[in-house]
This record gives sequence, C-alpha cells and structure tokens, in this order.
Amino acid sequence: MSVALANYIALSAVIFMIGAAGVVLRRNPLVMLMAIELMWNAANLAFVAYARASMNNAGHIFAFLVITVAAAEAAIGLAIVVIVFRRAEFVDVDEVSVLKG
Amino acid sequence: MGIEGQYPLLFLIWLAPFAGAIVIWALGPKLKSWSGPIGCAAIGVSFVATLASWADAVRSGPAGATTVVGAHQTMVTWIKGFALGLLWDPLTLVWTLIITGVGFLIHFYSMGYMHGDRGYPRFFAYMNFFVFAMLTLVLADNFVVLLVGWGLVGLASFFLIGFWFERPSAVAAATKAFVMNVVGDVGILFAIFILVAVVGSVSFADAFAGVQAHAYNGQLLFIACAALFVGCAAKSAQVPLHSWLPDAMEGPTPVSALIHAATMVTAGVYLIARCWPMWQGSADARELVGVIGGLTALLGAILGIGQWDIKRILAYSTMSQIGYMIMGVGVGAYDGGVLHFFTHAFFKAQLFLTAGIVIHALHNEQDVRRMGGLRAREPFAFWSMLVATLSICGFPPLAGFFSKDAVVYETLVKGHPVLYAIGVLTAGITAYYMFRMVFITFFGTYRGEIDPSSLGIRHPELAGTSAGLLKHPHDEAAPHEEHAPAWLMTAPVAVLFVGTIFAGFLDLGGTNSFWYGLLQPVFGATIAPVEGAAPFSELASSALVFIVVLAGIGLAYLRYGSTAALRDSVARLRNESIRMFPLLTNAFYFDAAIDALFVRPSRAFGTFFGVVVDPLVIDGAVREARVSALWLGHLFRSFQTGLVRAYALTIVFGAAAFIVYYAVVGAH
Repeated sequence: MSVALANYIALSAVIFMIGAAGVVLRRNPLVMLMAIELMWNAANLAFVAYARASMNNAGHIFAFLVITVAAAEAAIGLAIVVIVFRRAEFVDVDEVSVLKG
Repeated sequence: MGIEGQYPLLFLIWLAPFAGAIVIWALGPKLKSWSGPIGCAAIGVSFVATLASWADAVRSGPAGATTVVGAHQTMVTWIKGFALGLLWDPLTLVWTLIITGVGFLIHFYSMGYMHGDRGYPRFFAYMNFFVFAMLTLVLADNFVVLLVGWGLVGLASFFLIGFWFERPSAVAAATKAFVMNVVGDVGILFAIFILVAVVGSVSFADAFAGVQAHAYNGQLLFIACAALFVGCAAKSAQVPLHSWLPDAMEGPTPVSALIHAATMVTAGVYLIARCWPMWQGSADARELVGVIGGLTALLGAILGIGQWDIKRILAYSTMSQIGYMIMGVGVGAYDGGVLHFFTHAFFKAQLFLTAGIVIHALHNEQDVRRMGGLRAREPFAFWSMLVATLSICGFPPLAGFFSKDAVVYETLVKGHPVLYAIGVLTAGITAYYMFRMVFITFFGTYRGEIDPSSLGIRHPELAGTSAGLLKHPHDEAAPHEEHAPAWLMTAPVAVLFVGTIFAGFLDLGGTNSFWYGLLQPVFGATIAPVEGAAPFSELASSALVFIVVLAGIGLAYLRYGSTAALRDSVARLRNESIRMFPLLTNAFYFDAAIDALFVRPSRAFGTFFGVVVDPLVIDGAVREARVSALWLGHLFRSFQTGLVRAYALTIVFGAAAFIVYYAVVGAH
C-alpha cells in the first residue's frame, strides 16, 4: 500500500514548523541547533517525497546535498557554541548581542 | 598671400629670442651677468635673420623691387582645412625690423640700466620672451596663432610691469594691464568665431577673400571688425581701455621703452593694417576706429599736460601717438599709420631710454619738479631728449614730421574734417606738454635739494607714481660705485638718433618714395594718392600743423622756459601742483568709472557667490547629504538588534510573506 504524497508533505510542513518555532522560541543554543536540524530534515522529507512521486532522481540528489550541508552547519554551529560558552558561561543566545548596531 | 615654400630664416627670426628666453630662464642663476649679453645676442641673431630674409626676398623677387609680395610657409595642419603657418610680407618686415632692431638696442641699454639688479637674469629672460611673443604675433598667417602671440604679449607685459614684485603698486599695475589685455583677447576670440562661422577658416587670406566674395551678411563684417578692434583698443591703449598704460610705468624704464616703442602697444596698429581688406569692406568700422583713435590722441595729449612723473608724461604721449596711428589706419591711410609706427618706434625709444639715463643719474628720481637745470649736468641726455622731443612734435625735417603730417593730412583726404582738426590741435598740445617736460627738466636750476613740500609735492613718498621717491629694489643690491660703464646706455641712444632724425626721409617723394614702394604690394590701390580730395594741399596742411606746433612750443616757453618763468620756477611749480585741475589729476575719472561700472559690480557678484551661493547652495548640498546619510544610518541601525532569535523570526515571517504572496497573487 502506498501513502499519498499529501501526507508526506503535511508531515514535512509540521516538522518544519516545529523546527522554526524551536529556533524562534528557545534560548539555549544547543536546542536551537537541534531545531535547525529538524528544519533541514523536514526539507529533506519533502525532496524525497516529491522525487518518489515524480519518479525523478533530482530530489534524491538534493537530499544528499542537504545532508552534507547540514553536517557542515552542525560542525560550525557547535564550534561557535563551544567557543562562546568558553568565553562567557551562559546558555542564553539573547545575551550574545555584541553585533548590536 | 605669399609664395609657399620653405623659409628656415623665418623660424630663426621667430625662435632665436625664444631660445634665449629658455636658456636664460633655465640657467639664469649660473649665467649671472652673462645673461645680458646672451639676451642681446638672441635678439641680434633675430635682427640679422630679418635682414637676411629681406635680402633673400629682394633677390628672389622681380628686378628692382625692394621686397616680394610675401613668403609663406605652412607649419602644421591643425584641423582639416585649418593650416597654421608663418607669413612674411612687407608689413611683417616693417614690424619685425622694429621689434628686433629697436628691441636689440633696448636690450643692449638694459645691460647698463639693470646692472646689479638682483633680478638681472630674470629680466633678460622676460625681455627675450616678450620679443618672442611679439614676433609670434606679427609672423602669424592666421588669427589663431596671432591670438596666441597676442595673449603671450599680455603675459610677458604682466611679467615685466610687475618685475619689481616687492612693490604692491607694481603688482597692481601688472594685474591691471593683464586683465585689460584679456578683455581684448576675448574680443579677438569672438572675431575668430565669426570668421569660422562665415568663411570656415582662420587664415588671413580666407578671411579677406570672404570680403571680396561678399560672404559676410548684413552687419557681420562690421561686428567682426569691431570685435577685432576691442582687441586693438586693449593692446594699444585706446579709449576706454587705455588706463593700464600709464600705470605700466611701474616696470623698469627699458620695459617701458620696449612696450611703447617696439612691441605691444603697436600690435593694434598692426592688426588693423594687416586686416585692411576687412576695414575696406566696412565704412562703419573705419569710422569707429578713426573716431576712437582721434579721441585717444586728443585725450592722451590733454592728460600729458597734467603729469609730473617723467615716465607718465611719456606714457601719455605714447597713448596720444598711438591714437594718431589708429586714426591713420582707421580712416584708411594705412601707409601713413604704419609710417608713424615706424618713426615713433625710434623717437619714443629714444625718449624713454633718455628718461632712463636721467632717472639713473638722479638715483631713481622720476618727479620732474625735483629735477631742473640738468642741461649742464647731463648734456648728452639733454640733446637726445631735445631732438626726440622735436621729432615727436613733428618738427621738420625730423622723422615725426613726415609721419604725423601724413596721418593728419590723410584724414582730410579721406573726408574727416573733424578728425583733421583734432589731429592738428593734438599736435599743438603735444608740442606744449613735451616742451613743458623739457623746460622743467633741463632748464633753470636743480631743485632736487629743495624741500619737496615747497614744490607742492604733498606726499613725497607718493609723488608722481608711488615709486617716485622710493628706492628701487636694485639700488640696495648695487651701491652706486658699481655702476656699469656709461656707454652701455648712451650707445643705443646714439644709434636711435639716426632713426629719430632720418627715418622720415623714407617717405620723401610721393609714389616714388621707398616707403610707398615697400607697402604698395600690401595695400595696393587703397594707398594711392587721390588728387583734389582735400580743400588744400599737403604743403599747406604741413604749414598749418607747423604753426600750431610752434604755438604750443611758444606757450610752453612762456610758462616754463622764459627767463621770468625760470627765475621763480619753484613758486610756479608749487602753484601749478596745487591748482592742477582735478579732471587732469584723476585722468578724466576713467579709472573711477571702470571701478564703478566693472570692478565693483564684479566684486559684488563675487561676494554674493562667496557669502550666499557657496555656503548655502554648494556647501549646503554637501551638508544635507551628510545629514541624510546619518539619518538613514540611524534608521538601519535600529534593525541590528544583535538578537539571533529576532533575526530568525524576521526570516520566518519574510519566508511566510513570500509563501502567502505566491499562494494568493501568484495563482492568477
């Protein structure tokens, strides 16, 4: 039995929304990185679902690309979080505002 | 216009003074006292080349001719159809002979006069440059190169009038001369615009051919002539652009001689004589030039009466004599006007150089009231001054007699009885003020030791020109025991005697004369004598002028030269100084009028721009740009909160806005 495309897309949208809400609402940088990870994978789900529905491999290729970029992002993001944490011991991104204009 | 060919001699005439100027300019501090001889040599080479070029022209011309119609060499084609070249015809020859010949004598004289001056090399560099500029002017075959020479002459005069730049009055005089000359340059520029528009060329030949072909519509020819004449009036010190000339006396005396005799002020006469076909085509233009020339002659002579500075007297006499020349070429007596230029160059150079000898001997005293009785002390200067004065007065058979009578009589022949009357009257006034100067300077007793105030000199330090009693800068540098040998100054004056006395004989013999033969190829039938055009003969006219001149001399004798006048000369001079007409001391208020009409309005204009437009509009625009940049910066700064979550929220809403937009609008 096959699941309808609309269901995959709906699931993807819900996961993306959860991720976006997590980025906007949570203050812990680690949690924010995790929420971003959710958004990446929501996008991946949509790519793969469309790829299967249209019998086209372009979506798969994009999914791999997203996984690669997400890995790089996670590495850099974690590195920044570690450095910031070392300099000043806090876990609230709202206090990291030295770039305020 | 002239036979096309290669004429290396013309380049030698033209560029030798330029080379001299460059060498002295570059090496002046090293050359020191050698710059004088080098400067003289440069002009000497130019003079010899002029003679050689003349001989060349005679040899290659038809047998028996004194000169060929002309030589012409194209130097460079500027824009297609605009060829620039050198032109050599009898008219150029006359000017070149004077510029280099008399110029050489003045350079020679300067070696004595400027001896010991701190700026000795600089002086000769400027003088050579001046001669080069003037040669550029007269050798040009087109209006553009002529204008270049015209402008360079103005520049050189600026350098030389302001030679003693430590003196504020000299700087002011130099600036005045330069600015007034630029007014003339603009006039010539406008004439060039008209010529390019009408005949599509800047060469003399094409411009004159256009007159023959009636290419000038309506009043265009008159306007072109008038625009050219603005240039002539500025350069030749014609009313109302004359007032720089007396102030130009701030320069060293040899400069005055060079400006007044050999170069510069005669450029206007040259231009009109050169462009005679244009003037022949427009009776209005001839009328204009004739009237202005007559006015200038009369005005200069009247102003000459009221001067106390020996150089200013001569300056006004120059103005007056140039007025004669302009009047002559204006009414169409081109040969007479050019002859008066030729003879004037000799006697005016002699007058100035002799005045220089007097000034030098009296340690830079220029006020004639503080001279007197110099006949015994400076006999050479006395005789030289006397002969030159007689010549300028038109005393037969000296040079001035022939040329002045030619000009004056021609005005009658060409049908201008009023100008004739002015010419005769001016001759009388000229005799009066020139002999006034001779009597005050050379007769009676020496008044240099008398208290200046008893002579009516109110501000001794300001007497005459402001230079009156000030020590010239070169005095400090050179104590008097170091004076150069006197013959350096007397020898050139002695040579000038020849021209002052004999130059007029060239015109002897009517149409058979050397002068007529020389200029006939240039002016053609326009200078052919006209029989019966005047109510009386030239001889009668000469007699009339002679009587008027004698009357002028007689009056001067009664007032300044008679035994009674000489006995109480101090009281008389004092009286005259105090009672001098304000109209004369203020030179007919021309300076005040120019000040009120042009100087002050332009200053007010400048002040308006400086006080209103510049701070409010120009600076204001800059200031407003700064303020608005600041304001925009404040606006965009407020977006930069530094809160990562705020940025994220913005992005989310932005993305949401895109989606909603395409969901709603993009569907259609």
